[in-house]
Amino acid sequence: MTNFLELTVSGIALGAIYALVALGFSVIYRGSQVFNFAQGEFLTWGAFGMIALLEAGVPWGLALLGTMIGTGLLGGLVERSILRPLVGRPIFVTIIVTIFIGAILHATAHVVWGSDPMGMPTPWDAMKAFKLGEVSIWYNSLAAIFGAAFALGGFFLMISFTRFGVAMRATASDQETALAMGIPVGRILGATWFLSAAFAALGGVLLSMFPRQADMGLSYVALRAFPAVIVGGLESVGGTILAGVLLGVVEVYAQGYVNPLLGNFGQNFHAVFPYIVMIAFLIFRPYGLFGLKEVERL
Amino acid sequence: MPTRKLVTSYTQDLERFPDLWDKIGLWIGFTILILFPFVASSYWLTILNQAFIAVIGSVALMILTGFAGQISLGHAAFLGIGAYTVAILGARFHIPFWLALPIAGILASLIGLIIGPFALRLRGLYLAIVTLGLLFLTEHILMSFPEYTGGVSGLSVPTHLGFTKVEGEGGLGAFSRPSEIFGFRVSFAHKIYFILALLALGSAFLCSNIRRSTLGRSMMAVRESDLAASVIGVNPAVAKIAAFGISSFLAGVAGGAFALQQQYITIVPPFDLSLSIQYITMIVLGGVGTTFGAVAGALVFIICSPMMEWVGSHLPLINKLTNAQQSTLLFSVLVCIILIYEPFGLYGVWLKVKRYFLTWPFRY
Repeated sequence: MTNFLELTVSGIALGAIYALVALGFSVIYRGSQVFNFAQGEFLTWGAFGMIALLEAGVPWGLALLGTMIGTGLLGGLVERSILRPLVGRPIFVTIIVTIFIGAILHATAHVVWGSDPMGMPTPWDAMKAFKLGEVSIWYNSLAAIFGAAFALGGFFLMISFTRFGVAMRATASDQETALAMGIPVGRILGATWFLSAAFAALGGVLLSMFPRQADMGLSYVALRAFPAVIVGGLESVGGTILAGVLLGVVEVYAQGYVNPLLGNFGQNFHAVFPYIVMIAFLIFRPYGLFGLKEVERL
Repeated sequence: MPTRKLVTSYTQDLERFPDLWDKIGLWIGFTILILFPFVASSYWLTILNQAFIAVIGSVALMILTGFAGQISLGHAAFLGIGAYTVAILGARFHIPFWLALPIAGILASLIGLIIGPFALRLRGLYLAIVTLGLLFLTEHILMSFPEYTGGVSGLSVPTHLGFTKVEGEGGLGAFSRPSEIFGFRVSFAHKIYFILALLALGSAFLCSNIRRSTLGRSMMAVRESDLAASVIGVNPAVAKIAAFGISSFLAGVAGGAFALQQQYITIVPPFDLSLSIQYITMIVLGGVGTTFGAVAGALVFIICSPMMEWVGSHLPLINKLTNAQQSTLLFSVLVCIILIYEPFGLYGVWLKVKRYFLTWPFRY
């Protein structure tokens, strides 16, 4: 039972990070129907940027804010310089271009930060765990859960109650009408990239805390978050977050309970298991949990 | 810009090389193809061999993504299945390679036919992520049976001519040894050059024939809108599943050919997501939806990669990276620029060049 509870907490912590990453995909997709394959690289840039700021002597909280804003600006720059000229082209071409943006960011990350893994310093004692009866919970897990919950909560408040949030929703629902209403659609799309890159940076920082490290492999975590985006439904932001948390829990349970059952076949099986669940799920609900069933007109 | 001249009859519409310019280009290409192995160094011969394999693979992806419009991130899975089929059949069962290649294609095609029905319910990105799942699952299965696949350390691929096991040469088989033909010493790379060239030409021929047949036209109708296609009497299910079947067959053959050419294969790299992405690059670079695009994209991609490494090693900062990363970085920048300015890729460039000379001295 203790084991089960511990797995649940670390699953939720991992899931919270997946939810952050998946939200980044979903926000950009809602805004412009572009699926951003470069998302994973913002995790790497965020984590290494944070370490660089900390080494420069910036206090922890300020460094986190600075990293999120800096990575967000990088995302906005990518949108403005590469994706804006592609508006009106087939979406397929734009999606392919994001793959190459990812490759460029990955290689430049190698140039800028080198390829050695680095530990992420934390203001609290990263090796310590918090005891709740029998169950011990890493401080880092708590940080991941609260950090992600705080960011996601802030996002929902912004999107529901501010003028900017309304403009974002209007752009997502119909770009042309939004333009006709005087909403600066281009700037809104830039802002979606800013937000999604900032969330990814936060995810990267949270993910590279002990027991993991910041390394160039962080970007693959975005690949692992795909099932959350798909199961939640591409159009649904809330569904994506729910599915992200579920994905983390499923992955950790699979690691704890399914892997040992399968013997040799079970090594690293938890990395594949969410995909199998996703494929089985899509057979029954091809638009995900909360995705919109496409209504086609000729 | 029109993509071809005005067609006034069905026979004209069915012509594979409608212009004089296409014919001239074809004959120049054909001459280079024949003469190349007699003048090239073994380094460039190997590169061209890899380019032929890439042509087969990119034709496969072009049929699925370019014609039928089904985005697949799992192309590397089919290549991997083909490669390991050839390797295991050769190493454990001593099957000759000319038989193992079609078996690899058929096996990959069976997997493709299992994935095909998913395309009936899913569209666009949902399908892309499912095919990505197939890729991860394939990688995992290949990794989990090291007694057959060699696991992380890999597997050597023998090329048997007959059904018996041949000793010596590290167990690689008689075909991999240099042999004497008409008094010339012919190396393995030369021998496989002609086999791969034939396979590449054959698959390009198949692709252009599919494009002008009922099947190809129904695939393209499905690509534009499957609802509209079914209204005009095209069965989207048949078109999509046929696209998956044909595409994965060719991908299996390409993977098998890759295994034969490399003589030693491992799972990751090369059979991971970046390989799938390389093939997507080839077809986008060449021009989506054309046979010319599949062939030209693959050739340019493979032949330019060593050039990019050379350029990269002469640039400051970038030369800190590994060779593969240098070529990836420069290539990505190049592809982004091409796609921003020329969405039809190399096919668009070719059309522009052709128009320029056709209408010379006037601007088009």
